[in-house]
Amino acid sequence: MGESAMTMEQSPYGIQSKKLAIWLFILADAATFGSILFAYGYLRLANPDWTRPFTFSPTIINGIVMTVVLLTSSLTMVAAVVAAQAGRQSASARWLGVTMLLGVVFAALHLNEWLRMIGEGWRLFRNPMGGSVLFGATFFGITGLHLLHVICGVIVIAVIAIGFRRGRFDAGHVETTGLYWHFVDLVWMFVFPLVYLMNVRP
Amino acid sequence: MTAITPRRAPGMRLYVVVWIGLLLIVGVEVSLTYLQLPGPRLLASLLILAFIEAGIGVMYFMHLKYERPSLFWSLIPTLIFVLVLMDHFWPDALRLMHQRLPLP
Repeated sequence: MGESAMTMEQSPYGIQSKKLAIWLFILADAATFGSILFAYGYLRLANPDWTRPFTFSPTIINGIVMTVVLLTSSLTMVAAVVAAQAGRQSASARWLGVTMLLGVVFAALHLNEWLRMIGEGWRLFRNPMGGSVLFGATFFGITGLHLLHVICGVIVIAVIAIGFRRGRFDAGHVETTGLYWHFVDLVWMFVFPLVYLMNVRP
Repeated sequence: MTAITPRRAPGMRLYVVVWIGLLLIVGVEVSLTYLQLPGPRLLASLLILAFIEAGIGVMYFMHLKYERPSLFWSLIPTLIFVLVLMDHFWPDALRLMHQRLPLP
């Protein structure tokens, strides 16, 4: 053990520094999503001609499937973390692979929905139903930022899974990646009701 | 040397129960949407359920329940404080826009 290691202070939270770092990142990112959801709320209140375009089929059904896929990916991520902490490297890598697959399915469903809406004439600043043009801006903005997080998460999980399997990363890295992935899942728990369910056609 | 002692984490059975609970809450949210509730009541109901989901997810899936309480007390009140500030000051900023003096 080196002398520098002997003189290090105790961790105030009893966790590795990388875990504290991801918690701080999550805190900042939660404030980011909080701010855009607040902005969406205020824009909606300020526009009496706000459009509520979503029907049960296909949009809400698609949203429910996306929610189930993302929640299930959180469960598989937990399984990966549990396996990594138990020293079962191949099992952990397998669960990380399943999580990635579910993330890709979520992104594919999301992009499919975007393409359908774009086909109907929705754009960032165009509303084919004649109401406030800000619906497209808020919808594509909020869901786009979330989708970007999902895509980044899938890439990070791939890097961590390969590194963990080769012994370059430890269980702490898998756990840290898991925290990020769960956060992405939790953000969707707000996006789905506020952006989808609150905009169901009356 | 940093003394980091891993705290005991629950088994997979509890995580599966949490996952089922979260799915059920999503089901309740969708059902509430089609009950034709007034807008503000629907919004309040969906927000309460979303916060319950987030709380369960943070405490169990993200293991905050099994970390030292100091981590919880450093992170969660800070986030709530920031969100409350947004809630209180942003509408005031919009009000101020309407109070601007007209151009001469």
